[in-house]
Amino acid sequence: MDPITFQGNDTPARVFRARAREWAERPALRHKRRGLWQSLTWRDYYERARAFGLALADLGVARGDIIAVLAENRPEWLIADIGAQCMGVVGNGVYPTASADQLRHILTDSGTRLLVVENQEQLEKALAVRADCPELMRILVIEREGLRGLDDPGVGFFDEFVARGDELATTHAADFEAAIDAGRAEDLAFLVYTSGTTGAPKGAMIANRNVVFQLTKAREYLHVAPGDKSLSFLPLCHIAERMASVFNPLAVGLIVHFPENAGTVQNDLREVAPHVVFAPPRFWEKMHSAVELYMRDAVAPARWVYRQALRAGEGQVQALLDGQPVPRLGFGARALRALAFRNIRAFLGLTNCRSALTGAAPVPPDLIRWFLSIGVELRESFGMTETSGFATATPSGGLRLGWAGIAAGDTEVRIAPDGEIQIRGANVFAGYWNAPEKTAETITPEGWLRTGDVGEIGPHGYLAIRDRLKDIIITAGGKNITPTQIESQIKFSPYVTDAVVIGEGRRYVTALVMIDLEHVARYAQEQAIPYTDFASLTRAPEIVALIGAEIEAVNPRLARVEQIKDFRIIDQLLTAEDEELTPTMKLKRKVIAAKYATLIDSMYAP
Amino acid sequence: MLSPLIWEHDMLLTVENLETWYGPIAAMKGVNLSVAEGRIVTVLGANGAGKTTLLNTLAGVIDPFKGAVRFNGQPIHGLDADVIARKGLVLVPEGRQVYPFLSVSDNLAMGAYPRSDRDAVARDRERVFGWFPRLREREAQMAGLLSGGEQQMLAIGRAFLSAPRLLMLDEPSLGLSPLLTHEIFAIVRRIRDETGTAVLVVEQNAAVALAHGDDGYIMELGRIVAHDTCAALSQKADVREAYLGGGGGHGLSGTAQRWKRRKTWR
Repeated sequence: MDPITFQGNDTPARVFRARAREWAERPALRHKRRGLWQSLTWRDYYERARAFGLALADLGVARGDIIAVLAENRPEWLIADIGAQCMGVVGNGVYPTASADQLRHILTDSGTRLLVVENQEQLEKALAVRADCPELMRILVIEREGLRGLDDPGVGFFDEFVARGDELATTHAADFEAAIDAGRAEDLAFLVYTSGTTGAPKGAMIANRNVVFQLTKAREYLHVAPGDKSLSFLPLCHIAERMASVFNPLAVGLIVHFPENAGTVQNDLREVAPHVVFAPPRFWEKMHSAVELYMRDAVAPARWVYRQALRAGEGQVQALLDGQPVPRLGFGARALRALAFRNIRAFLGLTNCRSALTGAAPVPPDLIRWFLSIGVELRESFGMTETSGFATATPSGGLRLGWAGIAAGDTEVRIAPDGEIQIRGANVFAGYWNAPEKTAETITPEGWLRTGDVGEIGPHGYLAIRDRLKDIIITAGGKNITPTQIESQIKFSPYVTDAVVIGEGRRYVTALVMIDLEHVARYAQEQAIPYTDFASLTRAPEIVALIGAEIEAVNPRLARVEQIKDFRIIDQLLTAEDEELTPTMKLKRKVIAAKYATLIDSMYAP
Repeated sequence: MLSPLIWEHDMLLTVENLETWYGPIAAMKGVNLSVAEGRIVTVLGANGAGKTTLLNTLAGVIDPFKGAVRFNGQPIHGLDADVIARKGLVLVPEGRQVYPFLSVSDNLAMGAYPRSDRDAVARDRERVFGWFPRLREREAQMAGLLSGGEQQMLAIGRAFLSAPRLLMLDEPSLGLSPLLTHEIFAIVRRIRDETGTAVLVVEQNAAVALAHGDDGYIMELGRIVAHDTCAALSQKADVREAYLGGGGGHGLSGTAQRWKRRKTWR
């Protein structure tokens, strides 16, 4: 294998050390404590990671062992993760919404030695499964609240652990440096358990060389300078956020900000005004629907300005998308757009945003058009856990609706005869933890990663993703249908959070819809639709009609065989703890099909 | 998990999309609720959920911003409080609010003020004394000198004397001992059983209210988030944790639980 290096370093730990020296006094991480932003410099960051790493070694966690973090995004997450990596210990993350059963699976499957948990709530989960995890030596708790009376030799506090490491650093700092020097490119950097809409989660192994390769490519899709800001608000256990918050800053010098809590993300975005935002389409859709709904309540002049400004920009948007020279707007239109969209960008926290990226699900074209009209170039990309993050990205100024961009440099993308997208390059992961047979199914002997997605490559070299290979529906009439594409169009409605299209072996296509409680409840209140609880809301005839109209609006854009003939609304409020949803709040097709079988059958009753 | 009764049966009281604002603050946002003849319906909720606002709006003390209230089939929203009370929708306000310088007897007479059927009033008075013997013992005493529990009894008795079809109680347990609270609720049930008067009771003491009520609603931040029979509500995990002191206690770490589950009211 060719050595892959980033500024002469072939492991992320060595890049981290070099950056900590280079940028010592510059801020690296910022988090909000009691309403105030607190900064950690690169030097602080490095010293805490070192303390954590030395304390790990002191406890007896050895090179190649696994540790895991079960917490919301916060500096301690990164300190533990990178501190472990510097020692050659493999970091892993668990979704804070994971149930005790899911946690047990991940801990036992990976043989985790040490688990960092956020607070009392997560500690309870860990204690509930501890007896089944013989390899788990220690649990560390970050937040002390409510745990004063804790008396358990197997549980300690994160801050005490780091303080112990600080003590060790006064005499044994060289051990840490030696551990960084001992790391090899082919060693594992970290594990990512794939959320998986099917089967039990598998641990994808990301090697040091995968990470370093991604560092060398970060500038292909990120247009940022050192000191620019990002907000870490997606789950860190997910590959995209792991790369964005732990590693990309090493490449480009981003200051990573952590939201106060999951409920304050909108506010924090506005406050931080990050230069980079990567989020799945759902997140961008929510921004769009928030603005649309606010405008509905706005005073008439504001509505007029907004509509006129959108209309004035249509020609420009089309020209941009067609790659034509962009027509220059008259003074009036420019003033109108500045008036309307500057405030909207500020409201959304996108004032500084120069790299707006999305992926992980199909992106409705109307969404990209809308963001383009308000002056945000939302670029589609493609990547997965198994490609260590980005595999393709749309270059700046090269938007093509429905296409997810071009392959990262030095990687190859091909379409297999069955339509599957396959990728080869140094971004392809090292296999699944303890599952060589699964690895062999996923990586061909020639090194091609089977992505499981179906797509095509256009004449311009752009990749388009059609659907998951396994999700393609074949109707009773023998027609192939890509449900994800249809679902993404339905989800564009502010009233719909997610939908599952059904039709395998059926005469026609139907859908199960999960409504957006906030927006639908608001609609019900405005329209004086009586309801009490969630179930009664989903049954209200006016709400059924509302969702029906949203689906009718999508149908004309679909081929005749794809059109949705009937639908049902899921009458339970689902949370990430429910088996129906992935941790990223997507409906699991298989579980839904089984759990709602009678509801589905009712749509096909003669 | 089918809803009980709602929208189908003959309802004594139906509330549709009731919205009430205090200046710029929406205290109630689209509340829907109904009370069937002869049922005890309880509305649970934390401080500031909008429970008292609901009762005050129903009683005509506050005018709703939007929505409809039908009592016995007739719209009553926007009517004055005295008109509504004469129609048989009677409120026992929070904190009793008896006339402290009038005697128990006169307080009861104030309740019967709108009525002209003297014989029936005398009979109802006897009934009240039957339910609350202690009021008879203190008949001539000034109401302000009664204990809290006795004042609550007096307030209920006074309301009953205005011949309600629906008695609305705003936190009858306020400031009372657990034992007394149970006693009051037991009598409320007796009133319903003996006279068929429907009851709408707003409570923070969920355990008592769920034990004595027939149907229940849970209100949070001005909205109804769950409704069912009281028996079914008290089985729900979220209700047990948030209102019945269920989930908490000591976990595996041996420390008292400080965190809350996300509620879905299933």
